Amino acid sequence: MATTTATITLSSTDLLSDELSLNTTATLTAAGNSTGLTLASGLSRKKTGNTTEYTLFAAADYTDDKAHKVYLKNISTTAAQYFEIQVAGTVVGKIYAGDWALFPWSADSTGTNCDIDITPSAADMTLEYMLFIDE
Amino acid sequence: MATTTAAITLTSADLLTDALSLSATKTLHKAGSTVGLDQTTGMAKAYLTAVTQVDIFPPLIEGSIAFKGKTSWVYICNESEDETEYAVVKLSGNVIGKLYGGDFLWMPWSMAEDADADNKHADIQLTPSVATGMWFTWCCVNEGTEYPTSV
Repeated sequence: MATTTATITLSSTDLLSDELSLNTTATLTAAGNSTGLTLASGLSRKKTGNTTEYTLFAAADYTDDKAHKVYLKNISTTAAQYFEIQVAGTVVGKIYAGDWALFPWSADSTGTNCDIDITPSAADMTLEYMLFIDE
Repeated sequence: MATTTAAITLTSADLLTDALSLSATKTLHKAGSTVGLDQTTGMAKAYLTAVTQVDIFPPLIEGSIAFKGKTSWVYICNESEDETEYAVVKLSGNVIGKLYGGDFLWMPWSMAEDADADNKHADIQLTPSVATGMWFTWCCVNEGTEYPTSV
């Protein structure tokens, strides 16, 4: 069993009258227990040649209904460039230059084809990503 | 303009042969710009006591034309200390994943309407796994919010 932790810090001194200072740490564990995830895709980078939709992770390649975790980062430095993220064909949102995201993924392939797809807004953009895999 | 930053640190000494020590920090900007996000729902804390699916941002008109495609960021944390307790997270009725006790997510939200036109709009939905009570915290930091008209 491995121990992998994710810590998020949200901070702002001027979004509200009161300071925002949130810090949460989670240990990445398997579904329904405290066993640390032991598999990962490795930190990877994908350069997208054009603005076609790409399947980043196909649900059929992973165990259904598990506690996988997905990390994404748009490494572009051009503010207007984004990747549109879709899960199960539904647009989740856009990650612009420098943005990152971390979210759970069930890899559901029985009810809905829960692939994670990305669509870059411009040619030759690079996405950094890592999948923490629940067996 | 406000300056709000979101930072992540992913660490592990034993997941891989090499140590994992990844950090990323980003100031939250409006879509396609370097102007800081200036609106938020504030941090909500909720105790959900049914296994009923709930829409966690009901004051917002999800999928509204005015704010579709604008930048919104969503934080959700399952504050349960029981690792067997989870909440199914859905977007427009499609399962994204399950947040188990102690897990959090940070994801963009474009408020894009469901292509199936089944009236789910761009709802972010939580369904707790138990009815014995689970604590959650969540917030949305965004660049625009259209509220329902009062009746």
